[in-house]
Amino acid sequence: MDAFKLMKELRVNYEQEVQYLPKETGLSLIESTTQDDSRISAKCRDAKVEDLWSLTSFFGYSTQTFVLAVNLLDRFLAMMRIQPKHLSCVSLSCLHMAAKVTEEECNLTPTDELIRIGQCRFTVSDLSRMEKIVAEKLNFKSKAITALTFLHLYHQITLTHSTDRKEKLNLEKLEAQLKACLCRISFSKAKPSVLALSLLRQEIEAVQSEDMLEIASHIQRHLKIADGELLLWSERVAQCLSDYASPECSKPNHRKLQWIVSRRTAQNLHTYRSVPELPTIPEGCWDESESEDSCEDMMSSGEESLSSSLGSDAEGPFFPLHFRCQKHRQHLRQHLHA
Amino acid sequence: MEESHSAAFKPAIIEGSILLDAPSTEQQELFTQKLQQCCMLFDFFDSVIDLKSKEIKRATLNELVDYVSTNRGVLVESTYPEITNMICTNIFRTLPPSENPDFDPEEDEPTLEASWPHMHLVYEFLLRFLENPDFQPSIAKRYIDQKFVLQLLELFDSEDPRERDFLKTILHRIYGKFLGLRAFIRKQINNIFLRFIYETEHFNGVAELLEILGSIINGFALPLKAEHKQFLMKVLIPLHTAKGLALFHAQLAYCVVQFLEKDPTLTEPVIRGLLKFWPKTCSQKEVMFLGEIEEILDVIEPTQFKKIQEPLFKQISKCVANPHFQVAERALYFWNNEYILSLIEENIDKILPIMFGSLYRISKEHWNPTIVALVYNVLKTLMEMNCTLFDELTSSYKADRQREKKKEQERDELWKKLDELRLSDTTLVQNNSHGLLSVQNNNNNNNNSNNNNNNDNQDKSIDSAAAVTTDDKEPDVSVAASESTPCAK
Repeated sequence: MDAFKLMKELRVNYEQEVQYLPKETGLSLIESTTQDDSRISAKCRDAKVEDLWSLTSFFGYSTQTFVLAVNLLDRFLAMMRIQPKHLSCVSLSCLHMAAKVTEEECNLTPTDELIRIGQCRFTVSDLSRMEKIVAEKLNFKSKAITALTFLHLYHQITLTHSTDRKEKLNLEKLEAQLKACLCRISFSKAKPSVLALSLLRQEIEAVQSEDMLEIASHIQRHLKIADGELLLWSERVAQCLSDYASPECSKPNHRKLQWIVSRRTAQNLHTYRSVPELPTIPEGCWDESESEDSCEDMMSSGEESLSSSLGSDAEGPFFPLHFRCQKHRQHLRQHLHA
Repeated sequence: MEESHSAAFKPAIIEGSILLDAPSTEQQELFTQKLQQCCMLFDFFDSVIDLKSKEIKRATLNELVDYVSTNRGVLVESTYPEITNMICTNIFRTLPPSENPDFDPEEDEPTLEASWPHMHLVYEFLLRFLENPDFQPSIAKRYIDQKFVLQLLELFDSEDPRERDFLKTILHRIYGKFLGLRAFIRKQINNIFLRFIYETEHFNGVAELLEILGSIINGFALPLKAEHKQFLMKVLIPLHTAKGLALFHAQLAYCVVQFLEKDPTLTEPVIRGLLKFWPKTCSQKEVMFLGEIEEILDVIEPTQFKKIQEPLFKQISKCVANPHFQVAERALYFWNNEYILSLIEENIDKILPIMFGSLYRISKEHWNPTIVALVYNVLKTLMEMNCTLFDELTSSYKADRQREKKKEQERDELWKKLDELRLSDTTLVQNNSHGLLSVQNNNNNNNNSNNNNNNDNQDKSIDSAAAVTTDDKEPDVSVAASESTPCAK
């Protein structure tokens, strides 16, 4: 597509994007909720979106599916008050709906498998009912214009305008960064065009390309995005990305995951932890010097290597005898049945 | 002492004279007499013969057991030879060959010792004797000597697990009390194990001996003597190759872990040893090995972990992809262990690339749904540890898969083209067989290259196909080949 057409498409999308924005008041309400059982909080929404990311990755769904699923989820949550226990069902419905829109039918994971892998407690019919509810509430607008739409457009624009072939922005990296941002509910308040432009600028600054910076400014002017708004979101994006890229690992919350193994494996897991019955016999430094008892046998040929330790090691330092013996005499005193 | 004929057993001598009731001046004499009488052996294979005598001996043995357990001052020096003599007479014997020549310890019922009603009391007596507070090793060592120990060790091959259980405890006490016999005992156990591993593959008492060794290893002084380290590497590690590993693996693993707790620097050679002997065809053994690895990892020091993480996780990555679901499960379950997770976290940059390919592949391909669910858990855990690295690996994995698919398509297309060519040029066979033969040869070259070589060679063979077949008579082939050549790059 040539540059002119791209810019035109950009404009069209920009005008329509507002239709797919989740209600800001709804999002703010979620952000301000403290964690309790009756309302969704930002933390539980974010955790759920991370789960969706894992599932997307696991099933080989595209970034488009993920971004769309998050969009549907946020729009729904911003308008409906639901209980946290239903969040799994809602999020999985959004994922499935998004996959139906984006993915090829042969690549769609069946709902029962979705539920099983997602370790959810509801049934397939629950899921399809929820899908209908979500679709209805969102006025059946399943194909949304998202930050990814803009990201793709921006990327294409940079390709057509870029004079220097060497400097290319890595679209996959941008997509990954977008996913990281979407895991925080605050970014759902941003206009997709602005969020995408912030990401673009971050990356341009990272590769330090003057040309592309020029292109980004051109886009900003074309869409008439205010400096202040762009700056605000750029800062937040920068913060988020520095966390994402940090080498520090976050401790995985694996306690949430169920580890189901077959019965046989489970049986064998615990047989090793048995406590031995025989008490410890401490080794003493005098062990090796009972030569009067055993020397005749020790010198038979071919077997010296295994027991020829008389000498150097026998004088080595070892734990003080009284320290070890005290502990072990207690064991020996116990009268054990044979 | 010779065996007397059972009919000569005169119960009348002892009847009524209970040891404990006798006046103390006579107890000594009575004790000796009863010991001597118990040297008479009876035939238990015949269940009806000598019933009364057998009962009397049994009662006598019981008395002796009580006498030695409850009284002080009964072990005077003169009793030692009588005691050991009675014991030797009763227990030291050539073990009968197994009734079942194909005895499989895991499947079949063992043949039990027929004379157990007497024998267990003799063993009990020996144990109480050793544990008596008045027991003097300095006196006893004249009678409990190397010959005694050697015979005792031979009995460990008994099929009767009750007998082996007694022997285990008895040998343990002997090792504890007779410092002069320790080196000898260790050496003999060495020999038994080596014979077992390399010669006979048969010995019933491996588990019991290992249990004793566990308590000995636990008590090793630091630094470890070279002898002990050699024992670990030359005997315990090769012991893992035995066919009947299941019978003694728990005890063996315990010994290995004890060694590592004593001297962590042994970790690297131990793990490399286990990897060297990793089972290739026996899944049951593989599951055991994985269990042992987990136990070792439970106690491993982080610095030692770094040394073996790469070869170890390469093996684990193969295990998770194993079609035998128990092996895959056991390997995946490592990710449920908090300490192992923390080790992985610290070294995620080395470990994730090794594991990633297998995990991703089996998430799509494994037949077992439980495994697929576990793989999800593992991938999710790894993803949370390091998103960026995970994403990088995902995209490079996908890119690799794309490239592979593309190459596959190109190969298919080339074959198709060549096939079409053959069909259309059947007339040419009569005219010019030489030309087609060269195409056939290139087919074969392509075939071999596809199977054996990497991409580079394949490119070369396509090039050579293009080169050879630029023949006037085969314009189609050369066009096809030259079209495909740039794509292959």
